[in-house]
Amino acid sequence: MKVLSALGTYAFPAILIAVPAYAAMRGVKVYETFVRGAEEGFKLAIGTLPYLVAVFAAISCFRGSGALDLFASAVGRALRPLRIPADMVPLLLIRPISGSGALAITGDLLRRHGPDSPMGILASILQGATDTTFYVVTLYFGSVKERRTGHVLASCLIGDACGFLAGYLIWRMMIAR
Amino acid sequence: MLSGCLVAVFTGNVDAMMTSVLDGISAAVELVVGLIGVFCLWVGIEKLAEESGLIDVLAHRADPVFSRLFPGLRGKRKPLGTVAASVLSNVFGLSSSTPLGLKAMSEIKEVFGGRPGGLDSMARLVILNAAGFTIFPSGVIALRAALGSRAPAIIAGPTALAGLLATVGGLLAYGVLSRRAGSGDRR
Repeated sequence: MKVLSALGTYAFPAILIAVPAYAAMRGVKVYETFVRGAEEGFKLAIGTLPYLVAVFAAISCFRGSGALDLFASAVGRALRPLRIPADMVPLLLIRPISGSGALAITGDLLRRHGPDSPMGILASILQGATDTTFYVVTLYFGSVKERRTGHVLASCLIGDACGFLAGYLIWRMMIAR
Repeated sequence: MLSGCLVAVFTGNVDAMMTSVLDGISAAVELVVGLIGVFCLWVGIEKLAEESGLIDVLAHRADPVFSRLFPGLRGKRKPLGTVAASVLSNVFGLSSSTPLGLKAMSEIKEVFGGRPGGLDSMARLVILNAAGFTIFPSGVIALRAALGSRAPAIIAGPTALAGLLATVGGLLAYGVLSRRAGSGDRR
């Protein structure tokens, strides 16, 4: 575990030093080339704004109006046979929609139950099991101005469901021990 | 959006809904402003890696695995290297994953133009990065540590496994859905 976390910490500076150094060795004009790339990166980032505004507006409409709460209680009833704790249902629903929203819910669950309690561990696993699907799909397809997302959103959401279910089952095995 | 508006009208939550929408769009702007720096940095670094030949090396190394995940990109070094860099960044939890992912999307588009094969590769890249499989979920671990956990990293293994299954599930679902639509490529 230590090795993995060190890898995460040191990979970032290592790449930042190694890539320009290697490029300089190969005779690439480092500064000019970097700036050209940075300009491209700037355009990529700015270009996603209209798509993000559209999707964020739709999602906050869904949340702010209370439609999400109605949906959450319906899903909660549907999931009852699986015996997934009711506290987790809002997290499951928010996780693919809003990264900051999910983080807030997870933080709240960890504070209420304690991070090392069974509920705290389950919330942590579910939080980490997947990324913010709507955000990723919007950003990636928006950046290439591609509106035909086809089956991608559905596939990602099915993937999220698989990840949640797997996380829940692993957690059951963990706490049974 | 429609369902939200309907519910708001029925429950009389219109004010709350409007506040939430305005908050949502300013959050989108803040998010993009936050992305600009990271994007400039990483796409700049990627340009250096590209011109010095590092991306080609990566494309070559990654080819055996990635041309299986991305059948449309087999032997196409240009997008393959960036695609691999993005997916690997995601796996190692680096902030370069999104900028390189978007760079890879534009490279795929460039290589395929309007031809349909590109859409399939784009779809696969999005599914891989949306599942967010990470060997070390540093965000959750940091949150747990900040809230006083005695074993913040205990969830790392289970989380990685769940993330892996989310990825596999997403790709399988995509395979089934696009085949049922009569090869999703040709749409």
